Amino acid sequence: MPVSSAKLPTVFAITESELDLNALLAQITLPSSGAAALFTGMVRGVTERGEAHHTLYLEYEAYRPMAEAKMKQVAEEIRQRWPSVQGIAIVQRIGRLYPCTPTVLIACTAAHRDTGVFDAARYGIDRLKEIVPVWKKEVGPNGETWVEGDYIPKPGE
Amino acid sequence: MKRVKVLLFATLRDYVGAPSVEVELPPQATIHDLEEHLIAAYPRLGIVRNSMMAAVNREFAADEQIIPDGAEVAFFPPVSGG
Repeated sequence: MPVSSAKLPTVFAITESELDLNALLAQITLPSSGAAALFTGMVRGVTERGEAHHTLYLEYEAYRPMAEAKMKQVAEEIRQRWPSVQGIAIVQRIGRLYPCTPTVLIACTAAHRDTGVFDAARYGIDRLKEIVPVWKKEVGPNGETWVEGDYIPKPGE
Repeated sequence: MKRVKVLLFATLRDYVGAPSVEVELPPQATIHDLEEHLIAAYPRLGIVRNSMMAAVNREFAADEQIIPDGAEVAFFPPVSGG
């Protein structure tokens, strides 16, 4: 996966491969890092909140070049808001993914845990769900439905 | 007239039945014009008329934006990654 910026590592990718959380964390850890906040989401096979239902699998797709450009933008937004963040990894897995499988990773490293690193990772996943062009179709025992987001980005956002 | 290649994703691709289509448009055509053209050609797109989003050269685009020559245009529903 591409790593840009010589000093502060930023990893962003759309991938069909299994997410290796340890390897991604290693890629964004510097000798001066002492803290990491790592968010991962996985396919939920059993949903209890709202309309309870079961999920057999999710089918993800991406508008790949735009998705990777928007991930880079999310990383830049994180750096503007939390200058203490050192490394950033933003990776979305696509394809057919079954329950319990990690689908996405947002990780930030920093020198110390009280530098905003938790908020930075939280911002990263929230922002990914707003502006990174990825979609998922949910397949359950009663058929399939595309999941649709509810955020409408502004032109150029 | 100019030829524009339009990429389609998720529900929109299902409704059109293809991942991309080529469309002939007047030189000053906007994203809104293209959207109307597509809905006329593929009436099922009318179902998602109010939630169709557009990107021009991989940036979110306004309805009134004039489509530049040779642009990469994409239409898709609100994103749902994660």
